[in-house]
Amino acid sequence: MGRYIVKRVLQFIPVFIGVTIILFAMRSIVPGDPVKMIAGERALAPTVYEKIVQDNHLDQPLIVQYGYYLAGLLHGDLGHSYQKGQDVLTIFANKFPYTARLALCAILVEIIIGLSAGIVSAIKKYSLVDILVTLSTSVLVSMPVFWLGMLLQYAFGIWLKKLTGGALSLPISGAGGPISNYPTILHYILPAITLASVSMAFTARIMRSQLLEVMNADYIRTAFAKGLSKSAVIVKHALKNAMIPVITFIGIDFGTMMSGAILTETVFSWPGIGREIYLAIIQRDWPIVMGGVVLIVIVVMLINLLIDLSYALFDPRIRYGKKKAQ
Amino acid sequence: MAGRKGDGLAEASVEPYEHLLELDGLKVYFDTQDGVVKAVDGVSYKLNAGETIGVVGESGSGKSVTAMSIMGLVPMPPGRVQGGDVRFKGRSLLQMKEPELRAIRGNHIAMIFQDPLSSLNPVYRIGKQVGEGLMIHQGYSKKQALARAVELLDMVGIPNPAERARDYPHQFSGGMRQRAMIAMALACEPEVLIADEPTTALDVTIQAQILELMQGIQKEHGTAIIMITHDLGVVADMADRILVMYAGCPVEYGTTNQIFYGPTHPYTWGLMRSIPKRTLGDKKELTPIQGNPPSLIDLPPGCAFAPRCPYAKERCSAEKPVMQEVEEGHFSSCLFSGEQGFLQNSPIFDEDWGQRGGRAGGAADGGAAGGCGAGGAAGAAGGCGAGAAGGGRHD
Repeated sequence: MGRYIVKRVLQFIPVFIGVTIILFAMRSIVPGDPVKMIAGERALAPTVYEKIVQDNHLDQPLIVQYGYYLAGLLHGDLGHSYQKGQDVLTIFANKFPYTARLALCAILVEIIIGLSAGIVSAIKKYSLVDILVTLSTSVLVSMPVFWLGMLLQYAFGIWLKKLTGGALSLPISGAGGPISNYPTILHYILPAITLASVSMAFTARIMRSQLLEVMNADYIRTAFAKGLSKSAVIVKHALKNAMIPVITFIGIDFGTMMSGAILTETVFSWPGIGREIYLAIIQRDWPIVMGGVVLIVIVVMLINLLIDLSYALFDPRIRYGKKKAQ
Repeated sequence: MAGRKGDGLAEASVEPYEHLLELDGLKVYFDTQDGVVKAVDGVSYKLNAGETIGVVGESGSGKSVTAMSIMGLVPMPPGRVQGGDVRFKGRSLLQMKEPELRAIRGNHIAMIFQDPLSSLNPVYRIGKQVGEGLMIHQGYSKKQALARAVELLDMVGIPNPAERARDYPHQFSGGMRQRAMIAMALACEPEVLIADEPTTALDVTIQAQILELMQGIQKEHGTAIIMITHDLGVVADMADRILVMYAGCPVEYGTTNQIFYGPTHPYTWGLMRSIPKRTLGDKKELTPIQGNPPSLIDLPPGCAFAPRCPYAKERCSAEKPVMQEVEEGHFSSCLFSGEQGFLQNSPIFDEDWGQRGGRAGGAADGGAAGGCGAGGAAGAAGGCGAGAAGGGRHD
């Protein structure tokens, strides 16, 4: 197990280098004078201009610039925002709790609703419930997330304003304000449902097809032949086997959500990582974009490792770094 | 053995019965989009304690569906029982409600399956799976069930049973998995054990061990066994009586001796002749049965075997044959099976069967060699009865 983890972590290195090279190349290719991005469009005194060039190593060859950038990263320095003048790491550290909490809520919605819908529609195959689940998951899968978000806002914030007080979206403008005062639990409902929608539908579908497949397995027949009731067969024998691919999916999805949901966060003005990156892209605030992507890569790689390790919990046939069974 | 805790068959409630298990003209059909599949069409047999019946036929002949209907495990729909009955201790299993059936499944009638790897749940430990039936049917606690599972694993010949009970199925070898399946099936000491191709997925040497194990258990506990197989060698060795099935219908039924020494149905005859013969230096080719089994949706109006039968006459494709007694306890569904001079000299009297008996019986098929004793019947065939057994196991 230990060796496996070390091996996997070592594999992070080439991925990390690859991602940073691509990011760095993108920044260099994009047209525009970097000094102007840093200092703004106003005219600068030549000395100030020169100072900015030197401070940012812009007079050096690209490879050297990249070296400085990588060295900074390894020291935990993601750079400074052009626009805000703040440390990128600090910016993301402030935003991350919002993204993480929203991701947790969304993943709960996905697990509770997605899994149970999938299980019920598998057990009651071809029933009305099954048809409804199949239908609604098809709609959810094909509906763009931002549009669903807007529909929900419209329905609950405007149509049902009297009922909901119209307060189900966050009154955020920009990054300022005492963010510790909000959001309240109510504020999570719509964004969480929106963020979970597509993957919830996929979860339900994967769960359904997996359970149906497992129910045809020989060991399920064995379980019935032992005299187990249908519910006992499903709960004890089928679910644990059917869950393995579903857990993979949910895990990967959680990784994606933890690294910020650009569409959902933008539509709901959610003060998380995704929206921050979106704003940075619009403003060409490269350090934030690059730092954000680097952070996302690290989070996704770590979560993928955790998922791979969790397989061993569910499937005894998978054991990492142990001798193969006889 | 009847009257165990928590089952629907307390001694007092059981009427006196004639046979332990009785199939009476069982018909199981499946409704599919293409039409009605007559998977089992009028199968009858009787089974008593300590007996073994061999059900033989090629894939799709309805052997397994028959077994699954005894267990009440045929999915309905699309399956349905069109007619006939299955009686266990005189009570109809087909009339029983699901909870009653559950109390019988795994408790009074247990089943082992063809592929022991896929039939064991990959994510649970062997010990847990073996003991599960005891927890359901006999109120064992988790701990008691595990302890008993270890005893059962020991009984079926698993070394270090206490340790191996903690293993998962993938850590077992093929033969050990089938032993574990048998232990699982025997956990509640069932009166009837249905073995659906129990040795098909195993190595030849392991097959022999598994068959021996089953025979030993039968001797000790008086279990009745239904041995489903496509392998005449297996039944030659084990069965008291043999039912040959073709296209969902029974075609021949009799004692093992009657079937092997006096097969009266061309299909049985063909089955025996298509067993590979391993006479050294003999370049003779196999004699397979020509053609393929018919579709069960669109059976020919007459005898289902007629299109493939080398002896078929015009009458065969028009008239549906029924099982008729050709000698005491020996039934055949061939229109000509009673006729003088039809199908004389069973293929096992062929010269090379006898030769092979002496040579091959001892060679590869250690287990079938048990057949030397059981097949005292076949012993007369010139050499050793295991010849029949040994050859069959090769296919």
